[in-house]
Amino acid sequence: MIRFEDVNKYYGPFLALADINAQVARGEVVVVCGPSGSGKSTLIRTVNRLEEIQSGAVRFDGQNVHAPMRAAALNRLRSQIGFVFQSFNLFPHLSALENVVLSPWRVKAVGRAEARARAMALLERVGLAERAHAYPAQLSGGQQQRVAIARALAMEPPAMLFDEPTSALDPEMVGEVLAVMRSLAKDGMTMMCVTHEMGFARDVADRVWFMDAGRILETATPTAFFGAPQHPRAQRFLSDLRSH
Amino acid sequence: MSLFSNALEIVRDNWLLLLVGQYPNGPLGGIAATLILSVLGIGLAFPLSVLVALARLSHRAWLRLPALALVYAVRGVPLLMIIFWVYFMFPLLLGVSVPGYATMLCTLVLYEGAFLSEVVRAGIEALPRGQMDAARALGHGYGGAMRFVILPQALYNMLPSILSQFVSTIKDTTLGYVINVPELTFAANQINNRLLTKPFEVFLILALTYYAVCFSLTRLAGWLESSIAARRAGPAPVQLVAAQ
Ligand SMILES: Nc1ncnc2c1ncn2[C@@H]1O[C@H](COP(=O)(O)OP(=O)(O)OP(=O)(O)O)[C@@H](O)[C@H]1O
Ligand SMILES: [Mg+2]
Repeated sequence: MIRFEDVNKYYGPFLALADINAQVARGEVVVVCGPSGSGKSTLIRTVNRLEEIQSGAVRFDGQNVHAPMRAAALNRLRSQIGFVFQSFNLFPHLSALENVVLSPWRVKAVGRAEARARAMALLERVGLAERAHAYPAQLSGGQQQRVAIARALAMEPPAMLFDEPTSALDPEMVGEVLAVMRSLAKDGMTMMCVTHEMGFARDVADRVWFMDAGRILETATPTAFFGAPQHPRAQRFLSDLRSH
Repeated sequence: MSLFSNALEIVRDNWLLLLVGQYPNGPLGGIAATLILSVLGIGLAFPLSVLVALARLSHRAWLRLPALALVYAVRGVPLLMIIFWVYFMFPLLLGVSVPGYATMLCTLVLYEGAFLSEVVRAGIEALPRGQMDAARALGHGYGGAMRFVILPQALYNMLPSILSQFVSTIKDTTLGYVINVPELTFAANQINNRLLTKPFEVFLILALTYYAVCFSLTRLAGWLESSIAARRAGPAPVQLVAAQ
C-alpha cells in the first residue's frame, strides 16, 4: 500500500534519506525506530509529500505521490493518508468537535450535520465525547493527541501515519494514546508509526524498520528485531534504549 | 483658569461645527468626518492588507514582487507626499476632478493597507509551521488552509495591532487638512480663523479631542491584548475546579 522506491532526499548538501526501498502492505503495522536525526520524520513526511524528495518514488496504492500533479490531485491523495504529529497540531481556534468536523465538511463536502454526527462518533471512539466542546488549550496532551487521531480518522483514510505520537506526552498519558492506536491496528488499519514505545512495537507491529543516518539498516519482525538484532547499530540502539 | 473657561466657551459656541462641520448646510465635517474617514479607511485597508500579505507570502514572483514594491514604496514615503500624488495625479490620469474626501480615502486605504499588510504577514508567519502542515495533511489546499486555519488565528492574534493601526489612521486623517477635507482639524482651524485671538484654546480643544478618542482606543487595544493572551493560555481545566 505504501512503497518507497530508491528514495533519496537532500536538505541542501545533506543526504537525509539514502536509497530507501521498503514497503508497507495493506493492513500491516510497521514501526520505524532509530536514533534522533536518523531521518524517521523525514521518511514518514515524504509519504504525504510534506517533504519533497530528489529522486525515486513513494507510491500510495500504486500512485506515485511525488509525480508532477495538479494541486487538487495532491490534496485528494493527502486526504486519504491520515497523519498524526508529535506536537498534535490541533487548530487552537476550534473546539475538539470543530477540529474533527472541519476537513470532512470543507474538503470532502460531507454535509455539516452528517460531519458532526460522524465526528461525535469518532470522539466517542477515542473516549472524548464529553469533551467535544472543549478547546485544545483546555485539554491535556493525551486528550489533544486523541482528538488529533479522531481528526485524521474523520477523513476515513485507508492508512494512518504516526510521527512519535507519544513523545511529547507526560508518561501517564502515553497509555491512553497507545490504546487508541492498538484498537486501530486491531481493526486492520494500515499503519506506519515512528515511535520508541517498544512495548507497542512488540505487541502490535508486523515489522520493525530500524533507521540510522538516512538509511533503513534492518527490517525484521518485532520478535527477531528485539530478540536478535542483526545490525551492530541496531544492537547498540536497543541496548541504549534498555539502559534508560 | 481663564484658559479653560475660554475653551469651554468656545466648545459651547462651536460644538456643532466640531461635531459635524457645516452639515447640513455644507459637507459633513468635524469629528464625524474624521471618524467616517478613519473607519472607511481602515475597513477598506484591511481586506487590501490581507491580499497584499498573501501576495507577499506567495511563491509566485509576479504576485510577490508588486506587493513588495508597494509596501516598500509606501513605507519609504511620507504620507503627505502620497496625498499630493493622489490629489494631483488622479485627476490627470482619470480626466475628472476627484473630491477631497475620495482623494483622502484612497490615500488612507493605500497607506494604512501597506502598513497593515506587514502586520498581517507577521501574524501569519508567527503561527507554528505545524498548523499549515496539519491542514495540508488533511487535504486542504493552500487557499483552504489559509481561510479556515491560518487566517482566523493570525487575524485574531493581530486584533490589538489592527486597533493600533486604526488609532494611527485617525491621527493621519488630520493631513486631509492640506487638501481641504473638512475633518476635525479643518473645523478647528475654521474656528481659529474666526476668533483670531485664542489659538491656544482652540488647539487645546483639538488636541484633547484627538487624545480622548485615541487614548480610549489604545486602552481597548491593551485590554484586548491581555484578554487574548489569557484566552490563549487556556482556562483552568474543568477537572481541577471540580476536584476542589
Ligand atoms: N528542514 C531541514 N533542513 C535541514 N536539515 C534538516 C531539516 N529537517 C531535518 N533535517 C536534518 O535531517 C536529519 C533527519 O531529520 P529527522 O527529523 O527526519 O530525524 P528523526 O529521525 O525524525 O529525528 P528525531 O528522533 O529527533 O525526531 C537530521 O540530521 C536533521 O538535522
Ligand atoms: Mg522526528
